[in-house]
Amino acid sequence: MTMKDDDYLWDPTAAPDPDIERIEKMLGQLRSTATAPPRITATVRLKADTTGILAALDDSGRPSTYVGIRFLLPALAAAAAIVLMVGLTWRNAAPASTSAEATAGKASWQVAVIVGTPRVDASVLVGEGRIAIGQTLTTDAGSRAKMEVSDIGQVTIDESTRVRLADTRDGHHRLALDRGTLHAVITAPPGQFVVNTPSATATDLGCIYSLHVDEDGSGMLSVEAGWVAFEERGRESFVPAGASSRTDRVNGPGTPRYDDTEPAFRDALDDIDNGRDPSHKAASLRFVLEHARGRDAMTLWHLIPRVSAQDRTAVVDALAARVPMPVAVTRDAVLRLDRAALDQWWDALGLDEASWWRKWKRPVVAR
Amino acid sequence: MEHVLEFGRVLPAGDSLTTPARTAALAETIRAVAAGDEEAFARLYAGYSRMVHAILLGRVPRRDVDDLVQDVFISAYTRIRELRDPAAFGGWIATIARNRATDYLRRWREQVELPDELPGGDPIEAETFALLEIVRKLPDAYRETLLMRLVEGMSGNEIAERSGLTPASVRVNLHRGMKLLRERWADQGRPQRT
Repeated sequence: MTMKDDDYLWDPTAAPDPDIERIEKMLGQLRSTATAPPRITATVRLKADTTGILAALDDSGRPSTYVGIRFLLPALAAAAAIVLMVGLTWRNAAPASTSAEATAGKASWQVAVIVGTPRVDASVLVGEGRIAIGQTLTTDAGSRAKMEVSDIGQVTIDESTRVRLADTRDGHHRLALDRGTLHAVITAPPGQFVVNTPSATATDLGCIYSLHVDEDGSGMLSVEAGWVAFEERGRESFVPAGASSRTDRVNGPGTPRYDDTEPAFRDALDDIDNGRDPSHKAASLRFVLEHARGRDAMTLWHLIPRVSAQDRTAVVDALAARVPMPVAVTRDAVLRLDRAALDQWWDALGLDEASWWRKWKRPVVAR
Repeated sequence: MEHVLEFGRVLPAGDSLTTPARTAALAETIRAVAAGDEEAFARLYAGYSRMVHAILLGRVPRRDVDDLVQDVFISAYTRIRELRDPAAFGGWIATIARNRATDYLRRWREQVELPDELPGGDPIEAETFALLEIVRKLPDAYRETLLMRLVEGMSGNEIAERSGLTPASVRVNLHRGMKLLRERWADQGRPQRT
């Protein structure tokens, strides 16, 4: 290739070079889809640079050579800064904003910057603002924000997170976490605050928890206080305080485990949940059954419906060795995955602090 | 003579950024932005967002590029009074973009290993990401110029006007960059013109 061959490379309106055109077509898919500039909806502070552009340009746009005015610059700059700090509002044709007109008539939450420049849709959040149903809060690697969940709690949004307010009304509040991490502190009765992720739905049962979603849609739920139900396509995990549950894009919520279990124990559970090698999975199951502690009965209970019928007997035996099966429950009923039988055995696990959430969950279990 | 509308003024097409009319139009726009003119800010964004996007795409994962473009323009807006020569705006905002990308990568690497681009679930083919990875490994000057041309669809003249490079430099960057790209693409077993 010579420089003379570069006509099309230099000028896209010239006769196309098929090779370059093919590459251009491929890479052109990566072109930006954003057409609107960022919007600044609250007070914006411009730096008061005394050698800045306002004074340094003459009418032709060239840097000014007249230096006498520089004696006045500190005062002018201060005045300009005060005027600008009164509040500049950028408005354009972008469809949504944190401005009053965008949230008017829509249910919304208060949002506030913790650090950096989070955005609500295309609008830069400065200080405090509102997020309405359908709007997305995005933080970059240097930004964090917090949301007031109506009057029932607060959610902190970590760096590099994208979360949308899907719904908010009396007794029902829902976020959609596309990626990143949020920390929720909810004081409402069970079931009022829900977070959808690409691979599971987290339903708050009155608690404090963190939820992380990776780029591939998998994630991790970690509960600090109370309980969280993690559910996808009928696969459920009930995660108590001090425990976590992974979620996989394909397989949904993983088996919950206490955070103080050994890494090898957690790895084995991950393999049972998402592994592909049957012999490896069988070895992982044996490891879990042999190393489960008394309090890991919670984990074993979750495993009963997740393993094959062939392996289920061993899991039931392991759980029974740690928490005896209630008198009213039969082994056959458990092996058949009878929901009432499993529910009664759960009652026997000694997780009395969960009685309040079971009152909420029971109608669902009984369906 | 063909004309274009640029920064609110009708200007001859194809001229370099150094023409007085262009410089004056850009200076007027920048002064208006510094005074809080939202339409002027939108004009600056329209004129330079493709260049900023190309610079960032050459450095950071695609999923975060649009967000970072917005960050770069916010930063430019808040600091625009620091700019003393309006003709240098293109180089100035390009530097902001490169610094923002560096900062982004540093923060990410402090937290986790930066994941590769993920074509899964994305309508864009894996082959496109493979091609992008090759471009990303080219020297800076070639990489940025090629991305402006091949991703953003900018002409050689536009690249020169926006970046502040001379047209001759842009032409050399495009030529040598494309030559390297073809060679490395072929090394990966991809078809090329003979």
